[in-house]
Amino acid sequence: MKTAVIAKRFSADEETKAGRATLRRQSLLGRFRAEPLLPEAGAGGAPLTAAIGVMSFLAAIALAGLLLILAASQEWTSELERGVTIQIKGADAAEIAAGAAAAMKVVQSTEGVVEARLLTREETERLLEPWLGKGNVGEYLNVPALIEAQLSDELRENLGPLEAQLKAAAAGAVLDDHKRWRDRVFAAARSGQALAAAVFALIMVAAGAIAAFAARAGLAANSEVVSILHLVGATDDFIANEVQRRFLVLAVRGSLAGLLLAALVAGLVVFGFRAAGGAGYFLPEIRMGPGAFAILLIVPVALCLVTAVTARLTVLKALSREM
Amino acid sequence: MIAKFEKVSLAYDAGRDILSALDFNLEEGEFVFLTGPSGAGKTSLLKLLYLALRPTSGRVMLFGEDVTAAPRRALPNLRRRIGVVFQEFRLLDHLTAFENVALPMKVAGVNQGQYREDVRELLNWVGLADRVDARPPTLSGGEKQRIALARALVAKPDLILADEPTGNVDPAMGEKIMKLFIELNKLGAAVVVATHDISLIEALGKPMLRLEGGRLSDASRPAVRKGRRS
Repeated sequence: MKTAVIAKRFSADEETKAGRATLRRQSLLGRFRAEPLLPEAGAGGAPLTAAIGVMSFLAAIALAGLLLILAASQEWTSELERGVTIQIKGADAAEIAAGAAAAMKVVQSTEGVVEARLLTREETERLLEPWLGKGNVGEYLNVPALIEAQLSDELRENLGPLEAQLKAAAAGAVLDDHKRWRDRVFAAARSGQALAAAVFALIMVAAGAIAAFAARAGLAANSEVVSILHLVGATDDFIANEVQRRFLVLAVRGSLAGLLLAALVAGLVVFGFRAAGGAGYFLPEIRMGPGAFAILLIVPVALCLVTAVTARLTVLKALSREM
Repeated sequence: MIAKFEKVSLAYDAGRDILSALDFNLEEGEFVFLTGPSGAGKTSLLKLLYLALRPTSGRVMLFGEDVTAAPRRALPNLRRRIGVVFQEFRLLDHLTAFENVALPMKVAGVNQGQYREDVRELLNWVGLADRVDARPPTLSGGEKQRIALARALVAKPDLILADEPTGNVDPAMGEKIMKLFIELNKLGAAVVVATHDISLIEALGKPMLRLEGGRLSDASRPAVRKGRRS
């Protein structure tokens, strides 16, 4: 092509000048399709992916712990909430049996008792097995009788008269509405949840700090590239978008890998707990349903957001100090 | 008016002045050679023109805007009107020749469909049609210089700045590049070429600004030094 022709083609005509009046913005999709302008090595690459993977694993474990504690405590306390237990002690088996029969009569005649059941001696002995072992509860041990009763809400609100009637009917009767136990479980669950939430928050802060450090390092390593981009007309936003996109890709890779590993570990723990018969009279069953796994997706989403936004803000702040 | 320098001085890190109290205008459609010995401040003056630096004192106007204290957000639009051929090329090594040339369009948010042909045309014109996918580390100095030239022109700039643009190319390509600058200049672009090559300046007979010790010491258009066009 002749010089004059190419010159005409690349001279600033009126249309070109008019087009420059406004800064054009590429669509978000267009940006993601485009080839990255920052070199791979500059933005942390594999080390950043690995760090985010570890963060994701820890955050997912913390969140899974929080969910398990929440589910277990709810299940535990809801079981306890529904009923009361009446324990009847005595000097010997005959006294206990007589007291149990009298207490049962009181319970059955009380308005507001939905259901009441006297546990058999076998059932009561089974309750002691976790502490005494199987078959170790001999005839010589005066195992108290137990009555499990489901009460109406009104009766639960005012247990005083029932308690007095039981005492009158059987001196060794003790009414336990599980409140003290339930409150302890709630307190422990709350502490566990607070700890898990704090760990989750700390991991997010750590992820943000790592992203900020990596973004600054990446910017320093690519200072010549950034300078050239500026000189050909790139805005700070354009460069921040490039860095943000790079960090987002790394964060997606790392956080999903960490989440998968955490899900695997959580699944193994739940499976192991069940296989070892961990659930029973004392501990509630640990469950990790599909819903809980779906909630764990919060981890990669939060990590990607924290990483990308921190990287973007770090770059914009650093660039604002330049000419 | 493309550029106006008023008592412009430049010092790096509070050291001595690299440029001292420069006064000159660059009008639309003007073609100027910038010459002077090494270390005279030619590259620094070009840096002020392509907005890589701000003056230590004085005032620089570009395209009618005072860029001395202009906010950062105002600079990208001004830079898009300037095409620069750097002496050291300043290409991005991880991008192909095509991507390097297309860079000004890409950062301006133009879709590839709109500039693909332009980029190929320019690469063809500078004789690199068969190297569109080559990356700078695999190219010779002359090839890099031609890519830098294509990148400077792709966005149809109003002002073309070239630092020793013929330094790494053979005489035939050097002549071709200068002819292109002249043609673009005829079509309205202002051109500033920094060079040591006196024979080139004499052959083309264009006005000359001479920098010596950071001052405009001599010029073929005396009135320029006083801030008026000859």
